[in-house]
Amino acid sequence: MSAPLESAALDAWYVVGRSVDVTSDARSATKLLGNPIVVTRGPDGTPLITADGRRLPTVERYGHVWTTLGQPNKPLFSIPEFDEPDRRIITAGAVRVKASGLRLVENFLDMAHFPFVHTDILGVPEQPEVVKYDVEIRDDEVWAENCKFYQPKAAATSFGGIVTDYTYRVLSPFNVMLYKSCPSAPGRLDAICLFVQPIEPDYSYALPVLAVIDSASTDTDVIHFQQTIFLQDRIILENQRPSLLPLSPRMETPTRADLVSVVYRRWLKEKGLRYGALERAA
Amino acid sequence: MSLVLHDYELDTGAYRARLLMKLLGLSWSSVPVDVFPGFEHQTDAFLAINPRGALPVLRDGGLVVRGTEAVLVHLAEAHDPSGTWLPREPAVRASVFEWLSFAGQELAAADAARLESMLGLPAPWPDAVARAHRALRILEAHLTLRSFAGASFLAGPAPTIADIACFAPVALAIDFQDALEDYPKLRAWTRRVRALPGFVVMPGIPEFL
Repeated sequence: MSAPLESAALDAWYVVGRSVDVTSDARSATKLLGNPIVVTRGPDGTPLITADGRRLPTVERYGHVWTTLGQPNKPLFSIPEFDEPDRRIITAGAVRVKASGLRLVENFLDMAHFPFVHTDILGVPEQPEVVKYDVEIRDDEVWAENCKFYQPKAAATSFGGIVTDYTYRVLSPFNVMLYKSCPSAPGRLDAICLFVQPIEPDYSYALPVLAVIDSASTDTDVIHFQQTIFLQDRIILENQRPSLLPLSPRMETPTRADLVSVVYRRWLKEKGLRYGALERAA
Repeated sequence: MSLVLHDYELDTGAYRARLLMKLLGLSWSSVPVDVFPGFEHQTDAFLAINPRGALPVLRDGGLVVRGTEAVLVHLAEAHDPSGTWLPREPAVRASVFEWLSFAGQELAAADAARLESMLGLPAPWPDAVARAHRALRILEAHLTLRSFAGASFLAGPAPTIADIACFAPVALAIDFQDALEDYPKLRAWTRRVRALPGFVVMPGIPEFL
């Protein structure tokens, strides 16, 4: 058995599957933070999640089912865009990644890799520069604003390159989202979330969900675009060493482009989050 | 003549069709199929197109071609004026079919191991990874023998549809955490395939094998 979980990991909400996949005739045996859990739906239609026979709290939101092994001191984070009536909510299913969930969140926050990992989609090698952006901690979330990046194909339906505006928002240690320019609806922002179910410290399920304005592309187009991007990331994530996220600033040398990752790691450290982090001997 | 591919970005069969069409300089349009997480390939609507419930399906004018091997053979026979992708010379042609069938049978374990590791889709065998490694060892041994004869590709002196059929599951072994470290001949061969004019990747194929 693993060591007892610290409160920063234990007392938090985690995604455990898409709502449509949680049905009363399916009992899905999965894991959360190393603990076996069983996910199904009760006769009353609400999700029924148990760990060692103990019934866990559940929330159903953002197209997914959420639970906790501990006692969160606040409700699940709020993403108001999901309530805007002209948005389509599109879930893309779980992709398994042999890497720390914290690495997944940090990769999601990183613009510098766009030209090299998502070549000719989210970036081009000729324009690799990450211009200065702002990062702050607001209501116990990490926000990075005024991010701009030249993208040849910013979304499933793009008609040529644009300079895309990004805002990143870290909702909790294992959940992150971004707002970005929507090529087919100028002035509006698409919302893209990456929810992570940490299975083990170095093994995660990634569940992307989008709340898009885009009326030009089908759900399948949007899912395929998202999966293409994420599968390009997956090889990088699985081959990054160490697979756990170092929180000490001495382990991996950041540049100015990595400001949001520096703040994210510091924020994790201040919370006392250790699950998926590389602990250095004192 | 218009080519339409029922396509999924992450399906290696559909990728093999895309890759060969690119190498032949063809253009086509795609009908995206929501294989994951939608399982659209198992719906009645898709089963009416292909009762086997699998990609790829290629429409070429009025002709409907179903399944990876059939699509590759059709593209080579109908759209390769050079005749090099499916040569007529009997010994080479027999070898092409040998490795086409290997790709559809033994190497299918590598596809299954990948889909299980990546998407949690249960493989048809409990030991898919071990089966995948047996297949990779067979291919490594074959390429070693070919190299003694001075040949760089699986069947003939030049690349054939056998190379296209076998490439994806090998190059994507990294998706089930195998970077082909024990298979130097396979790594070198994937680099030769990558170097073909018109080569196109699919997500997950690493640049550093």
